[in-house]
Amino acid sequence: MPDAAEPILSVRNLKKYFPIRRGVLARVAAHVKAVDDISFDINKGETFGLVGESGCGKTTAGRAVLRLIEPDMGTIRFDGIDLLSLSSQELRRRRRDMQIIFQDPYASLNPRMTIRTIVGEPFAIHGIARGSERDDRVTNLLKTVGLDPSVQSRYPHEFSGGQRQRIGIARALALKPKLVVADEPVSALDVSIQAQIINLLGDLQQEFGLTYLFISHAIPVIEHISTRIGVMYLGKLVEVGTSAQICLAPKHPYTQALLSAVPIPDPGARKQRVVLKGDVPTPINPPSGCRFHTRCPVAIDRCKVEEPPLREIEDGRDAACHLVE
Amino acid sequence: MSNVLEVKNLKTYFYTEEGVVKAVDDVSFSVQKGKTLGLVGESGCGKSVTAMSISRLISPPGKIAGGEILLDGRNLIALSNEEIRQVRGAQISMIFQEPMTALNPVLTVGFQIAEAVLAHERVSKREAWSRAVEAMRAVAIPDAEKRAKDYPHQLSGGMRQRIMIAMALVCHPALVIADEPTTALDVTIQAQILELLDSLRQQYHLSLILISHDLGVIAEVAETVAVMYAGKIVEIGPAMDVFHNPKHPYTQGLLQSVPRLGSSVRKKDRLDVIEGMVPNLLHLPDGCSFAPRCYKKTVECTLSPIPLEPVSERQEVRCIHA
Repeated sequence: MPDAAEPILSVRNLKKYFPIRRGVLARVAAHVKAVDDISFDINKGETFGLVGESGCGKTTAGRAVLRLIEPDMGTIRFDGIDLLSLSSQELRRRRRDMQIIFQDPYASLNPRMTIRTIVGEPFAIHGIARGSERDDRVTNLLKTVGLDPSVQSRYPHEFSGGQRQRIGIARALALKPKLVVADEPVSALDVSIQAQIINLLGDLQQEFGLTYLFISHAIPVIEHISTRIGVMYLGKLVEVGTSAQICLAPKHPYTQALLSAVPIPDPGARKQRVVLKGDVPTPINPPSGCRFHTRCPVAIDRCKVEEPPLREIEDGRDAACHLVE
Repeated sequence: MSNVLEVKNLKTYFYTEEGVVKAVDDVSFSVQKGKTLGLVGESGCGKSVTAMSISRLISPPGKIAGGEILLDGRNLIALSNEEIRQVRGAQISMIFQEPMTALNPVLTVGFQIAEAVLAHERVSKREAWSRAVEAMRAVAIPDAEKRAKDYPHQLSGGMRQRIMIAMALVCHPALVIADEPTTALDVTIQAQILELLDSLRQQYHLSLILISHDLGVIAEVAETVAVMYAGKIVEIGPAMDVFHNPKHPYTQGLLQSVPRLGSSVRKKDRLDVIEGMVPNLLHLPDGCSFAPRCYKKTVECTLSPIPLEPVSERQEVRCIHA
């Protein structure tokens, strides 16, 4: 639950446009509006879930928050500091407090490094804990994520997907970060392994008081792990609220359709669903007005011309829709 | 009810340098006319190899080492390469996960669908083309006539998967095998494709084998469900029974470990998990392959192979404690 304290992360009017260059002069012909003016807060110790379909901008948003991608506009306040004003050296020092876990545990570990080197690398970069002290810390980290410390001299290819994801988590935790961006951390894993990693992330949050920005397209996973959820569509946040508000009583027509599309593992529960027509439009030239109006089952004329702002519709819930009371 | 397909004691082994991998080991099931069988399991359980075996698409070092695959009573394993080619695409067709790699990028989609008609039927090119357009209409592609002249890259992922379905259906096969047909798609597009597959099945009395790792997808469309683990079916029965009254500890574990919508009311902090991981198929434990991860394990489980046995009239389970 949001408390009165200042949020640990506060994002305002974040924008990231990627230029598309064409022709021999490589002139900028258009922009992909990957993240287009989004704002949200994350409170200390909570998990904020960012959910949406491919191309909605959730990954770009996660990376822009860490300045792994430089945002074009907006402000990001993290732990009282304006991140966008930092020089690259200052930013590097700050990164100790903000880490990321990637989706693909195969691509995110260097195949030529041993597990000891991979998990110890954050210490090397920041020049802390040398020699046997570093080894001790690596040993402890591996134990924390449920790996046998005797695996330290092995290479990533010797591990399964779930084990590699544990290694990635150990690396992210090495410097005791305050904020961890987890970008689809379980999407590449088998069902039974997914549950193990989700539980591990939950345990670690409690143990170390971590704050998560959890990015996923899998709604049941997001619901299970998140305190609050933001739903994105074509670069915009369309609805933000507590996990229960979003998943039990969605108000935005897109959130409603998204939830009703989730297949339920119960053959008795086949339900009436809102099947959206057509595909997600391109973020290069998004529809005018409300970006969802081309697929929205309840759109009216006003939706085609006037963009609905994200506004508070009840305590703790914001939605961007003209029709939501 | 007549069975379109009967698979009996199918064994597909891969003869690798490190040893024999029994990817599919003694698998039996049948598919009734107009019905859907769901094959569910995690990576490496043998569900895709089962599908490839039915279409006889296994290549060395893999080999169908035993069993029978009866399509309308005709054993596909005994057919020559030429004969199976006549069956493939005409009586059995497949839909794959990744429509971008399954389609040829330098040919129009209409041409690729028409090609399937020309391969199996004696018709003119013009006729084949119009059949292609008709098939595209059947899978609800708007503006089919115009879209037929598009190349795969001009279409979205959902549209490409519709093209794959049109191609699979254009020769009116008796059996369609869909291997993770919606895994690469977004959830709203997945809902469209599942709905389409189900309505086509009803319309054309198709028999469908749907392969997925996603229990939700299986529950949506399958009447019968087979759960695979390490090359074997561990539980098979009507979807209602398998999902509501799972008897095998693996099925139970799988169903309990998936996060479900509505979890925010139940306030459960931890998911139930199956400890450990899938065994290496080269070094399977003696007895039950699931025993090392099983909460019900006893000494008897590790002594000899466990048979698949009926627990009720319709449900069979490979577990001595079921």
